[in-house]
Amino acid sequence: MEAEAIRDLLARAFPDAVELAVEDRTGTGDHFQVAVTSATFDGLPLVDQHRRVNAALAASLADGSIHELRIKTKGTP
Amino acid sequence: MKALREQIESVIKEEPVALFMKGTPQMVMCGNSSRALNALHAAEAPITTVDILPDPRIRQELSALSGWPTIPQVFVKGELIGGADIVEELLDSGELVQKLDGALGSDRPREVKVVALELG
Repeated sequence: MEAEAIRDLLARAFPDAVELAVEDRTGTGDHFQVAVTSATFDGLPLVDQHRRVNAALAASLADGSIHELRIKTKGTP
Repeated sequence: MKALREQIESVIKEEPVALFMKGTPQMVMCGNSSRALNALHAAEAPITTVDILPDPRIRQELSALSGWPTIPQVFVKGELIGGADIVEELLDSGELVQKLDGALGSDRPREVKVVALELG
């Protein structure tokens, strides 16, 4: 899977994101690190922030095109 | 024999800290499971581990219960904490130790246990 495809999915799920980074950690197209900073996360516990990122990428997680996903989320100051 | 989902629910509800992982503490089979295990060790948590690899139904039933799609999954007194990223982040911020102190006391046991689910 292309990092760009993941970026699009996240951009659609978090249109107000002030930071959105996707990195193919191993160059194998299935281990990704994503970082999202959005006001959507303000006041949410970490587990709920990550739930929303998992939901945005649910199909790719389910079909295995994402084998490993590392997530970093932040609210806005 | 109890249904798989009930066995999983019992582990989540009855164990102080439950770690659903790929492999066992003696033979960890995945980087993220190893990260979660190490973070829990560092926070001096008692750890009850369940290997999800023996049967794909384990992961399906677990994710249906928790609404969390990936492995590992960490629960403290029945509450989903999250996966490796969150457990590490909470360890670094000190919140993991705080949560364990609050839930289990600072004089908590440290033993590591492996629970094998009965697969019909």
